[in-house]
Amino acid sequence: MSDSSEREERPAGLHAEEIDEAEQVVGERAEEMALGEKERAGARGRRALTTAAWTAPGAVWLLFFLLAPVMMIVLVSFWTRTVSGFESVWTLENYEFLFDSNVYWEQLWNSFWHSLVIVALSLLLGFPVAYFLAICVTSLRFQIALFIIALAPFWTSYLIRAVAWIPMMGRQGALNTALQELGLISEPLDILLFSDFAVTVAMLQLYILFMVAPIFFMLAQIDRSSLEAARDLGANAFKTFREVVLPQSMPGIVIGSIFVFILTMGEFATVRIIGGGTVSSVGTIVQTQVASVQFPQAAASAVFLVLAMILGVFVLLRFSNLREDL
Amino acid sequence: MPDEQTLTQREGASTAPSPAAAGTGLELKSLTKRFGEDVLAVDDVNLHIAHGEYVVLLGPSGCGKTTTLRMIGGHEEPTSGDILLDGQSLLGLTPDKRPTTTVFQHFALFPHRTVRENVEFGPKMHGISRAERREKAMSALDMVGLRALADRRPSALSGGQQQRVALARVLVMEPKALLLDEPLGDLDRLLRLRMRVELRALQRQLGLMFIHVTHDQEEALSVGDRIVVMHDGRIEQVADPFTISNLPANVQVASFMGDNNIFEGTVTATEGDRVSIDGGDAELRALVPGADAAVGQPAVVSVRAAAVQVGAQDASANGPNQLLGEIEVIEYLGDLVKLHLAAGGRRLVAKVSGDRYPEFQGKEGESVRLSWKEEDVRLLRA
Repeated sequence: MSDSSEREERPAGLHAEEIDEAEQVVGERAEEMALGEKERAGARGRRALTTAAWTAPGAVWLLFFLLAPVMMIVLVSFWTRTVSGFESVWTLENYEFLFDSNVYWEQLWNSFWHSLVIVALSLLLGFPVAYFLAICVTSLRFQIALFIIALAPFWTSYLIRAVAWIPMMGRQGALNTALQELGLISEPLDILLFSDFAVTVAMLQLYILFMVAPIFFMLAQIDRSSLEAARDLGANAFKTFREVVLPQSMPGIVIGSIFVFILTMGEFATVRIIGGGTVSSVGTIVQTQVASVQFPQAAASAVFLVLAMILGVFVLLRFSNLREDL
Repeated sequence: MPDEQTLTQREGASTAPSPAAAGTGLELKSLTKRFGEDVLAVDDVNLHIAHGEYVVLLGPSGCGKTTTLRMIGGHEEPTSGDILLDGQSLLGLTPDKRPTTTVFQHFALFPHRTVRENVEFGPKMHGISRAERREKAMSALDMVGLRALADRRPSALSGGQQQRVALARVLVMEPKALLLDEPLGDLDRLLRLRMRVELRALQRQLGLMFIHVTHDQEEALSVGDRIVVMHDGRIEQVADPFTISNLPANVQVASFMGDNNIFEGTVTATEGDRVSIDGGDAELRALVPGADAAVGQPAVVSVRAAAVQVGAQDASANGPNQLLGEIEVIEYLGDLVKLHLAAGGRRLVAKVSGDRYPEFQGKEGESVRLSWKEEDVRLLRA
């Protein structure tokens, strides 16, 4: 295939240095380089101030509505419970109680596992949707229209969407009735409501868009000609997907997974409504404890829930270098 | 040297462009592409390109040049016609199965891979071992002078460097034909001027078939062995740069190439090789060996801007190939001065040497005498 004898001695190199030189003349950096040391330091100071001004509102918000409540929870978890609430007397008994409770740890593990399953399912079902929207639909107008349609469920309240599953999936619900009418089943299926399965399906429907959206935005950024370039360089459709599309959508997958994981891990409302008392989660445990005014215990339970979430996020983040890839 | 092995061509490579030997090179046969019912993007294009030849497809946007290139690369399927490479039809082959590679306008580098991984991509897809593809990639990077930047991400490179990565990435594939889609379109002017010389030198060194699409006349003239001027999906003229520039075949080519003064009129007399044309307010006489113009027939002629002689308004200009014109705008372009003139109702351009700028400076609005030689008047196909 190759035949070195016919080639000339001189490598066919482009004159890289000269081109770089030519480029630098027109380079934007030239302007910055012309600035003196002092002016540059001044500019840096001004830039830092501007940055601070822009971040201040967000920082204040996070301080009052995220950091302070979390600190409060941690604090209360070390306080003593009383009949009517708690008093600020240091104690470890809330944690002792927690460590003795098998139910709690079982539930924490269940919720963790359940969240991972929902993350996996929403990725499996959501990715094709995002891919279709971002890559297959070429008209921007059509793309936006479809995306808004996909967002339509978000126009109703989350609780209403959860409640709406009951007439859909109940014993006398639409699905059971339809299946019976079609003669596919003779008895109504009980698994459709008030079961683990029902909770999984409902959560999937409630949260899948948090997976679709970030993947969609990552895929939409992919330069289509880079897909053509991959084909051109010898990759078939599958390899193009594996080598070019998938790696570039990884930040979206990771962010979507974090959304879905966090949201489902702390879930209690859907579990209550769709699970109907047969299913519980860490969320429902915390809620029960709060309902019976056991704030310090609820706080201790919540602390481990948060730790489990942080662990999950940490693991998910290892799949992508967001700082570089985004 | 490793890069010699990497980049040596398969067949007919180091030989100079040879005349169309039967069955070798690239052959476009009645190539046609329709988009929907109404849009005829490429209309019955026939072209042969030899191995080792640098061919430029030139035309305004929407003329079908990019669609033609995409059909060769396999990114569009022709509606009808055939594409043969060394006698083998490429139709029905997906881009990954074709021995062609493309340099895309916006480089189309993989942003999530390093420079080296970008260049390694092709060999990797063809199942070449890690060690071998690394060696190939590094020698291709040597060739474009980017070895030192092999571990950077494309986003950390300048436009010119990205362009060179894109080149290395296709050269490592040892394609039979290299397709370049507006390869210099994203670069600054200064860099563009440099890169086109480098492209030309690279093509000469590799002896590889380059098919280059551009809308830039100057770029086309500077790199191509042959230029294919396209308009409305059809080929208007195929010729070497000199011919395209000096002997445009028809009105489309003459007007697209720019700096041609086009006159429409009627043939009033033929006398040997001389054809006289009445262009309304201008009388033209062309020296056309073997012209078969008949008296009374409509004719279109062109006169290159550089062939127009500009003199002082001394005598009245009433002979053939003479006009009085008023200078409207003077463009100083360094090596030359471009005069935009109004003569009667028509607009003309003349180019004179840059040395004469002082003579014309500040004379916008003045009248001058324009003249040209009979042999500079080209009879065009309408």
